[in-house]
Amino acid sequence: MKKINVIGLGNVLFGDEGFGVEAVRRLEKQCGDIPDSVRFIDGGTQGLNLLDYIESADTVMVFDAIIPTEYERKVYIYENDDLPAFIHRKMSSHQMGLSELLSVAKLHGKVPEKLILIGVPPHTLELGCGISREVEALLEEAVKEGKQIIDSVLSG
Amino acid sequence: MAKKIVVDPIPRIEGHLRIEAKLGENNVIEDAFSSGTMWRGIEIILKGRDPRDAWAITERICGVCTTVHALASVRCVEDALGMEVPRNARIIRNLMNATQQTQDHLVHFYHLHALDWVDVVSALKADPKTASSIAQSISPWPKSSPGYFKDLQQKLVGFVESGQLGIFSNGYWGHPAYKLPPEVNLIAVAHYLEALDFQKEIIKIHTVFGGKNPHPNYLVGGMACAIDPNRNTAINIETLSMVKKIIEDTKTFIEQVYIPDLIAIAGFYKDWLYGGGLGNYLCYGDFPEKSIDDAASLLWPRGAILNKDLSTIHDVDPRDLSQVTEEVSHSWYTYSNGDDKGLHPWEGETNPAYSGPKPPFEYLDTDNKYSWLKTPRWKNNPMEVGPLARVLLAYAKGDAMITETVNMVLKKLNVGAEALFSTLGRTAARGIECLQTAGFMMHYYDQLVDNIKTGDLQTANTKLWDPSRWPKEAKGFGYTEAPRGALGHWIHIKDGKIEDYQIVVPSTWNASPRDADGNAGAYESALRGTPMADPELPLEILRTVHSFDPCLACASHVFDMNGKEITKVTIT
Repeated sequence: MKKINVIGLGNVLFGDEGFGVEAVRRLEKQCGDIPDSVRFIDGGTQGLNLLDYIESADTVMVFDAIIPTEYERKVYIYENDDLPAFIHRKMSSHQMGLSELLSVAKLHGKVPEKLILIGVPPHTLELGCGISREVEALLEEAVKEGKQIIDSVLSG
Repeated sequence: MAKKIVVDPIPRIEGHLRIEAKLGENNVIEDAFSSGTMWRGIEIILKGRDPRDAWAITERICGVCTTVHALASVRCVEDALGMEVPRNARIIRNLMNATQQTQDHLVHFYHLHALDWVDVVSALKADPKTASSIAQSISPWPKSSPGYFKDLQQKLVGFVESGQLGIFSNGYWGHPAYKLPPEVNLIAVAHYLEALDFQKEIIKIHTVFGGKNPHPNYLVGGMACAIDPNRNTAINIETLSMVKKIIEDTKTFIEQVYIPDLIAIAGFYKDWLYGGGLGNYLCYGDFPEKSIDDAASLLWPRGAILNKDLSTIHDVDPRDLSQVTEEVSHSWYTYSNGDDKGLHPWEGETNPAYSGPKPPFEYLDTDNKYSWLKTPRWKNNPMEVGPLARVLLAYAKGDAMITETVNMVLKKLNVGAEALFSTLGRTAARGIECLQTAGFMMHYYDQLVDNIKTGDLQTANTKLWDPSRWPKEAKGFGYTEAPRGALGHWIHIKDGKIEDYQIVVPSTWNASPRDADGNAGAYESALRGTPMADPELPLEILRTVHSFDPCLACASHVFDMNGKEITKVTIT
């Protein structure tokens, strides 16, 4: 059975920064009864603590708030080589972001076969305000895309 | 006019820190100013919430160690409500705390700090055979053959040639302040990668007892995990033996990799004894063997040292309104009764009021307010907190394990005890402490197994869970020694809700700005007198600041596809 790790990143204290974590919460709920080979991880703003989750699955799907180069209000999906080389999230344990974790996984020879990033540009990053209406409107779509990918990996 | 240098942000730390330094003759730092430029308003979010949920919110503050805020928070609420936690819960909390310390210190040394001393690019020039014989002469660690180092070096070459240095992209490679021979650099890089792999194992202990990691579960009144030696879904014999194996491996790694590396690297920097700083040290203490209220039972003692005087240990009482205070004379907040009057956290206020220059700007107005960090003081003294403070206090008190290890390290390096008051001393203290906490892990594992054997499976005390049994109003203090130093949470509960919550984190002590009397904070003081080889490449500043393991948490930056933020060094 293919192992899938679904990781939500971001800080739930800062409005749309919590997009990734919230998306994974909802996705887990929607998936209901699903094989143990799929794990849902609330990654928060942790860096190094997530290395094991990056290296221990065939498919890794990451949800995160992103600032794309051409800023459009939509759901962005990147897969494997589409992921920009210098993605840099200044968030994590000792500035160890997703790109650093991936470069470590590469050195260890443990890069997942399939790596997917599902992102939404944030509307507000205010302290303690929860997900904004603008991002809320994209959340369901992001979760739906995630669900479809999980289903296709499981059936493939 | 003196040269002024700005490093913003300090790389490889959690959060945002800016250092402004004034250089005198021969590029020696005359004075320094430390500014945390991100506001943390957690206190405001907590107001009006259920105190039993505070741990889950406070553990989101930090992107490094979620568990320390959860621990301080549950202790604080329990203190306010007069709850005693069951023996198993105390032991499990201590075990998780020792696990966090050990993993965090290991990660700090290799992944945050080592690159201030280790030149990755120089490792490419190393002779793998010589590296192997050096490695074998300092440690019985089995991964030390010439072939092992050769393979690793080739991997590293491929990595550098691909142009994607990734984790190694933010270094001042080739800087004249690097003193290690290529072979020692290669050994250190090898262990950098091994430690990255190994730290994943240590933290699995949090998943066992906290249900998940990151963000393990805590509970006001105990722990949320169930213990039952015969049940699959609880902590049972199988999970306990897995925990034991992890602890044994951790101890071996610290003993055979971390400590020998620390001593080998430090041996080449014995002349670089800058960065001592304040000479004032503060510890709340931790690892209670009995009730958390029984300060005498703490394995890490409570107390303060002033002016490097190890012969006098001062008593510390964080509940005393006149001892631990925060003022805001140089911080972007206002106090209703005067910014220069220190307030105890139970009387604390959080009213942000930015008065700094409008970005983009060149310099902060360091004569006035220049930081988002408040200025904590102990009896009006600026204090350093963290591993050096703890090790010095234990050393001053004659703790057998610490005294023996400190003396062993000093002897191997052939330096006197005064060398401890330095950047290198701080770095060594962290390693010494890591060896100790790896021992604590086994100590608490044994305690837990012994207690379970008596038939005691209780992990939570729910007697006072219901708010109807709480007093109308209560105040509490919760503390822990986080990896980077003394952490305190102060709560005021009214009608079952949080009326006020104040947190003083370790990096606020260490990175604090000036106080109203003009006394510098720990970073500011430690940077004074440091000579810089090349102000354009401020490696020496990073060394000293990193030695404190800064965490100016509250990670709020989003994933940026436009490229990376590079540390800007400005000199005029």
